[in-house]
Amino acid sequence: MEKSEDIRLIRTACPAHCGIDCCGILAHVKGDRIVKLEPADFPDEKDRRICLRGLTSLDITYHPDRIKYPMRRVGERGEGKFERISWEEAYDIIVSKFKEISEKYGWKSIGWVLGGPGAGTTKFGAYLRLASLTQSTRVSAWGYGDAGLPCGSRIILGHQFPYMHLHGEFWQRKYPELLMVWATNPAEAMPLQNMRKLMDAKEIGTQVIVVDPRFTVTASKADEYIGLYPGTDSALALGIMNVIFQNDLHDKEFILEYTNGPLLVRTDTGKMLRGKDFEAKKPEAYVVWDKPSNSYKTLSRSNAKEASLNGTYAINGIECKPVLQLLMDLASEYTPEKTAEITGVDKELIIKLAKRIANSKKVTFLTHMGFTRTYHGDISLRGVISVAAITGNITTKVSSGYMPATLNWNPFLKAIPDKPSFHRIGILNLYDAVISGNPYPIKALWFAFINFLNQCANSNKIIKEFYPSLEFIVQTELFMTPSARYADLILPVCSFLEFSDFMAQPYPNVQLQQKVIEPLYESKSDVTIVSELAERLGYAEFFKGGEEGLIDLIMANRTFKGITRETLKTQAVLLPSLPEGASFPLSFRTPSGKIELYAEQLYEDGEALPVYLPPIEAPITPGEKKYPLTLINGHSRFRTHSMFANVQSLLDLNPEPLVDINPIDAEKRNIATNDYVTIFNDRARTTLKARVTEGVKPGVLDLTEGWWIEQFKEGSLNHLTHDIINPVQDKVYEPNMHMNDVAVEITKSEGVKK
Amino acid sequence: MSDNKRLGMVIDQERCIGCEACSIACKVENNTVDYWIKVETQGGTEKDTPGGRFPDLAMDFLPKLCNHCENPPCVDSCPEDALQKRSDGIVILNQELCSGCQACLTACPYNVIIFDKNKNLAEKCHFCAHRVDQGLEPFCVICCEGQAIHFGDLNDPNSVVSKLISGKNTFQLKTEEGTNPSVYYSPPRLKKRL
Repeated sequence: MEKSEDIRLIRTACPAHCGIDCCGILAHVKGDRIVKLEPADFPDEKDRRICLRGLTSLDITYHPDRIKYPMRRVGERGEGKFERISWEEAYDIIVSKFKEISEKYGWKSIGWVLGGPGAGTTKFGAYLRLASLTQSTRVSAWGYGDAGLPCGSRIILGHQFPYMHLHGEFWQRKYPELLMVWATNPAEAMPLQNMRKLMDAKEIGTQVIVVDPRFTVTASKADEYIGLYPGTDSALALGIMNVIFQNDLHDKEFILEYTNGPLLVRTDTGKMLRGKDFEAKKPEAYVVWDKPSNSYKTLSRSNAKEASLNGTYAINGIECKPVLQLLMDLASEYTPEKTAEITGVDKELIIKLAKRIANSKKVTFLTHMGFTRTYHGDISLRGVISVAAITGNITTKVSSGYMPATLNWNPFLKAIPDKPSFHRIGILNLYDAVISGNPYPIKALWFAFINFLNQCANSNKIIKEFYPSLEFIVQTELFMTPSARYADLILPVCSFLEFSDFMAQPYPNVQLQQKVIEPLYESKSDVTIVSELAERLGYAEFFKGGEEGLIDLIMANRTFKGITRETLKTQAVLLPSLPEGASFPLSFRTPSGKIELYAEQLYEDGEALPVYLPPIEAPITPGEKKYPLTLINGHSRFRTHSMFANVQSLLDLNPEPLVDINPIDAEKRNIATNDYVTIFNDRARTTLKARVTEGVKPGVLDLTEGWWIEQFKEGSLNHLTHDIINPVQDKVYEPNMHMNDVAVEITKSEGVKK
Repeated sequence: MSDNKRLGMVIDQERCIGCEACSIACKVENNTVDYWIKVETQGGTEKDTPGGRFPDLAMDFLPKLCNHCENPPCVDSCPEDALQKRSDGIVILNQELCSGCQACLTACPYNVIIFDKNKNLAEKCHFCAHRVDQGLEPFCVICCEGQAIHFGDLNDPNSVVSKLISGKNTFQLKTEEGTNPSVYYSPPRLKKRL
């Protein structure tokens, strides 16, 4: 036993980017070494938490394989041959390369590829600030799986995220009668922020339904499990709406007040009918069919509640229908029989589910990114939100609880107010920019907190076409990841226990990720690296005070009034409460200011309504195609994306990649548990162990993401995935990678050594 | 330390998500050779897989650790008196007295005593006695992601554990052995099907 007087306790926070978790951590330090981590206190005892990964964080900090000093590539890219250099040499190389490339192609051709911003604020912000100052290119990483949800949310709600409207109340521990967990597995992906609350809700009587192609741990806790084919969520949503409309169970009052359901649409052009179509005084005004006067009227506050939601009307010779009628027409095609056929869900279950949703007093739809990683995943989200909207289950105002945190991002997004800032390109658009110079050439990339090769789609394309097109690659890293092997320069970074950052999470808490020990070896924090580079580029004044200076800058917003770096050193602090009796409307920043069940701007794309469009690659009718199986990739509790994949204490429990296959598919191919198998398509072959389980739908293979390439016998997960761009997502926001929309075949692999 | 204490646990299967944070937490805290608490999957034949036929499936988790039995057969089996039941109910193994004979491993009906071949010593869960003696809960309890593990005095009718046992349909493992385990389980609740 350690004597307690020798131990110093330091509160920090784990930024492992588990979506929205961010556990408070109490580090026990003896001398200059951390000897133990435990969950730190929170204002609400229920938030005191740590997960199995967080518990092994010291195995990362003190990992023998850490990159200890800056290194320059001496072998071929990918070969892994590097030589040690000093930080001075590293900065000299970067400055001279950046000078050379910017003179040839402009600063725009230099890009910063930054991983999940949830993993930190100032470490992300520092790069943005330097990108802004140099007017280089910020590569947005939303598109490596997380852009589909914002695409859908932007269209139907007018917000980047649907969370406050869908489950803001759930996060404040106000639990509904029915909880629809759709396409998310919080038990493994967000165990603390979402799963604990799910179980708390169950304890007070909430009925829980899980919709997922995999029988996840979350599904095992559900009262009912709905196992559908990947990429058919919008068909299920339409099937549910079909039953609701057939039985006249929709919430008309809510639809009239909060959605564009009553607005008239021209059936000839697919556009909203406007005042100008019949020379009204307000040319841009929307038009409704007013029931009391049995005539059309431009929309106003006074007639909004009396508008018709049904029928076909001729106005000045133009045929028009209310949005809701169009949605009902579409839903009428999705009978329970047809929906069952598409989704693989029992017909009777669809009917019961729809009635239960419609007849429940309050339903919360808990969802996340899983199903938005299919080609039409943005529409899947719109389908789910449409079901919530027609049953009045969208939160439209906040009347109690805590203010949302607002970070002072402006100085990072635009370092000098009257000067242009960085250029922006989506990560899936980056492939073309690098390989073909379209829309403009990118010649140098700096990767920070991202394992690009491992985690992005179509590995062979990256290796054979993407990397060779780049003149200079820098990577800040803790380990020699598959991506780091391709860098020209590797810079050693700190683990989270060696630097400070600010976290406005988990809502409604604010925390300091406080430096616990000095950086090990020659490692530096990303903020320090950026600051030192900025100094050499002539921007020192923008990074004064280093990590702490940037923390103070990002906290400079009134939502953090009274909260300082100093107060956060010993505790997590709650955001300010809303004043008693206050009630704020939650806006919808769509063109109509309403929930848009119909998006006229997508009419030409055939996506004005939340239509069901089949997956682009995934075969939902097994047996007919060359590659008859759908490959999806869930999240494993043993990793956060590709982090922790090299931690021995976790590998002890989960030693190697596994592909889950249903017994029906396994039997056809003579595959047994622990057999080595090869998954293949035209892009690649990937060899690993099989696990035969009923936990995955027939026709579907599940390989959890994040395993490193070298942990496979051959290939890897992303060798099999594709980089096809969905043009609608490209237009609306940024295209997403569709790792859950991949067609493959699988075969037993003979002769692989166990 | 009160003489009439009986420290024990109630593990709520409804809240256990099988994450194995308890296993890791224990290993880190006690620097063990193997896991003193192991999570068993109830369902399919493989760990973390359900039983049944898709989509009619079920999967539950059962974390197993030393039961700190009221009548611990391991204590009686040890020829070196290395195993003792403390007055607060914790069954401890004093490695300084252990000869590595493994009699306790045979005597324990629950297969929860671990043998370290390299050191030729037995080891097992002691409810984090070093923490309990400081008024703290066992480390697995505070690290449980699902908040499924409850710890306290089974002899105190007002303790959380006692209330859980009187209020819920709890069970103990292998009651036929007459050991009277101090680890109770609360089974998963019945499903409210659609």
